[in-house]
Amino acid sequence: MAEPLFHRITPRAIRVWQWGNSIGNLFYFIIPAGYALFFGLDDFHFWMVILLAAIFLLTWILSIVWIPYLSWKNWRYAVDEKEIDLKRGVFVKTRTLIPLSRVQHVDTRQGPLLRWYGLSSVTISTAATTHEIPALDTVIADRVRRQISTYARLAEDDV
Amino acid sequence: MSDFERQHPVAAVSRAFTLIRGNLITILVFLFVGAQSENFPFLWWIGGGFGLLLVMGILNWWRFLYKIEDGTLHIKSGIFVRKNIYLTKDRIQVIDVTSGIIQRLFGLVRLDIQTAGSSSRQAALEAITREKANEINWILRQETESSVEEGTTEAGVSTAVDDARTIKIPYKELLIAASTSGSFGIALSIIATIFSQLEPLISESEYFEYIFGLLPSQTDTVLIIAIIAVFVIFAWLISFFSTLLTYGNFQLELNKKELVVSRGIFEKKRITVPFNRIQAIHITEGIIRQPLGYASLHLESAGYGDDKGTGSIVLFPLIKQKNIIPLLDEVLPDYQKEMDGIKPPSRSMRRYLLRSSLPVTAATAVLYWLLNFNILIWILPVASVYWGWLKYRDAAVGWGTDIFLMRSRRLSKSTAYIKKRRIQDATIIQSPFQKWRNLCSVQVFVASGDQGKSFTVRDIEIDDGMKLLYQVRKNGTGELAHPTDESNAILLPGWA
Repeated sequence: MAEPLFHRITPRAIRVWQWGNSIGNLFYFIIPAGYALFFGLDDFHFWMVILLAAIFLLTWILSIVWIPYLSWKNWRYAVDEKEIDLKRGVFVKTRTLIPLSRVQHVDTRQGPLLRWYGLSSVTISTAATTHEIPALDTVIADRVRRQISTYARLAEDDV
Repeated sequence: MSDFERQHPVAAVSRAFTLIRGNLITILVFLFVGAQSENFPFLWWIGGGFGLLLVMGILNWWRFLYKIEDGTLHIKSGIFVRKNIYLTKDRIQVIDVTSGIIQRLFGLVRLDIQTAGSSSRQAALEAITREKANEINWILRQETESSVEEGTTEAGVSTAVDDARTIKIPYKELLIAASTSGSFGIALSIIATIFSQLEPLISESEYFEYIFGLLPSQTDTVLIIAIIAVFVIFAWLISFFSTLLTYGNFQLELNKKELVVSRGIFEKKRITVPFNRIQAIHITEGIIRQPLGYASLHLESAGYGDDKGTGSIVLFPLIKQKNIIPLLDEVLPDYQKEMDGIKPPSRSMRRYLLRSSLPVTAATAVLYWLLNFNILIWILPVASVYWGWLKYRDAAVGWGTDIFLMRSRRLSKSTAYIKKRRIQDATIIQSPFQKWRNLCSVQVFVASGDQGKSFTVRDIEIDDGMKLLYQVRKNGTGELAHPTDESNAILLPGWA
């Protein structure tokens, strides 16, 4: 039951998530705005709007300064000849084991934000699920992809 | 068969009906709008709609060509956008011959050809003659038989069973299945929706007034109870007959390499599943069926997808609890049926109870204090505690040499047998509270249809969860692990 050799993902992932969250989570402010439009700003509703806005502002700030760091800190992946092992989760921790013989295909993906930071994500698909190692250096991502697909071919088996 | 051919013209009609079925809601909306407009006759709407669909059906039929060449089925389809589908012999997993009502009127059949991908859903020949179907089946089978080697790994299955064996469901059990069917709830909600739409129409009509005039005077409560009772009975009848029609003539056929499930009274369905495509077996004991000692058997299959894209197939609609293992022994002799297992430790019972009862209690409190519901509604939280206890009692994980057993309960109790080598991925999940109590939940995915199906057991000992994960790592071999705490050990599945 020896633990496999786990790797961390690139620290630059934190930057990517910070940018992603700071833009993406802005949409949550639609909720207090919508509330204000719908109910107006009379005394009780005014305070409700303030409360909602405060909650979303707090989560917005946390999702920038704290969550990306925690998320990075908790991400670990390991690939060997037999399986892929993924550990992740900020509050709820999960650990997933994917036998390599089950891997159907593996891709690397790169959005504009990831490209800006020279990163790629590796997507691993089985017949049932899809998993992602979110942000690796493009060179490493490519190596991991090649490694997985080589091992997967060796471990080939029917579905 | 090296030239392109068209299907039987009836395919156009059948296609039109499929379109109607697929767009039923849109059509209903159109009919509703049509009925509102004054200057456009209602019949025009219906006639025009059906005409359009029929034209679509005919065009579809005209533009749908198929041929078989070198063991490859090549289909060209699409009215404007031409689609070429190639199904190669050794990728074809299942060929099913079925006949719906339209096909049966003309003595035709429908041929479904399935591969592991989702694209094969479009590769159905809607209406062809039976001879043609047999011919295609024969050509494609011929090739597969010789090129398939994967079957040998599980040859134990086929040798144990002589040529073909047929298992039928007794009438008595069919009737019990129909009367305890789970589609009851669905029927109820459909009726309720329809009624809520029709209610303004009905209450304005004269008949309604007239019928109410006939009834003796009554209070609102009695009236509401009576209406609910009528709904329930009506829903029950619908689910009774729909189950009867769906599972009438049920028959399970065991061949060398595959099992064939056929069922249905009007719309006959025939589902072929090769043994080496079976990913998992799960047994469901419904809340009404369990006290009566009955359960239903399902299997998950890769590649095969029903209309909804799931690979869940009813293996047997209803069976006595004590007959489950004998039946499974016959169908799947290579599955280990009984094994040692572990249940969640007693400290996770509190989590089970709270998880079930907290939301129910909160909802009840809202209903009682804010909406002034009857005090009887407080039965619900009490029931939910019992429900949580049942969930705790039924949760268990077991592992044999090459197999997992995962047992859990939502409303129904579900027991799943999963071959370790069929597991697509295994996950252990730990929330902060679980971490504090040294517990975790385990979840495994198997392939099913186009997607996957997951089985989850919550709040087992973290060490047992890790052992389970390592069992997946060993991929079907290796010695058995023993539970961390012997007092949690049980023998599964525990049917007498």
